[in-house]
Amino acid sequence: MSDEKDKNPGECFECKKKQDARWRQDFPVGWESDNYVTRREMVKFLALGSLTIAGANAVVAGLPHLVKASELPRTRVALASSIPIGGSKLFSYPTEEDPCILVRQGNGDLVAYSQVCTHLSCAVIHNEKENALFCPCHHGYFSVDEGRPYAGPPTRPLPRIKLEQQGNEVFAVGVEVS
Amino acid sequence: MSSRQAQGTTLFTALLVLVGIGVVVQLWLLAASVDALMRHQGSTAVHATIGSGIVFAVNGLLVLYVFNFDRKIKQDHN
Repeated sequence: MSDEKDKNPGECFECKKKQDARWRQDFPVGWESDNYVTRREMVKFLALGSLTIAGANAVVAGLPHLVKASELPRTRVALASSIPIGGSKLFSYPTEEDPCILVRQGNGDLVAYSQVCTHLSCAVIHNEKENALFCPCHHGYFSVDEGRPYAGPPTRPLPRIKLEQQGNEVFAVGVEVS
Repeated sequence: MSSRQAQGTTLFTALLVLVGIGVVVQLWLLAASVDALMRHQGSTAVHATIGSGIVFAVNGLLVLYVFNFDRKIKQDHN
């Protein structure tokens, strides 16, 4: 019965009634043809999707350069004379939510790093005996010279804080992520 | 359906699959870029972007080719 209706809709009274209905004249597109997607449409959709993804990838790649371009503040973090050789001092840079650690090395040089461990974001502390920055959560060790991990689970170095010294005052002027 | 139209349908389907694979590769590259961004490895994201651009260029050329083919078939048909 339904096959006959499909073959000769004009002969079927119900079908004719449906075709003549006012809503059918206003919306002549049937469900079947409305849901039908041609290969052409699909190829166009995929090509546009491809363009969108390439654009999104470019944005992701350009994001670090945009962030670097913005100037970081110059902040006074310590008095150089207040940190003895092998000593350390905690400070925040560039915002109050970014803890950092300033260390005076054996040769007298000052270095500063982000205090956030690159493994699971615990706070690293200065281990004077081993001359290392130590993460107590999972026993990760970073060298004080370069901030590179040499033991434990961390694989990425700590972001280095750029320092400038004017007289006795030490300023943080930027962040160096390697 | 003429043999040329059948050829066109096959071509459309094949290129549809190729472009689809290209888009999946691009999605993978985008995920790798975001991962690299989180790891502060900017160079990886740049390389992924170059790769994604090349895949897009290949996809674009394939689509242009198939639409040119389609146009020729329509002209021949008319």
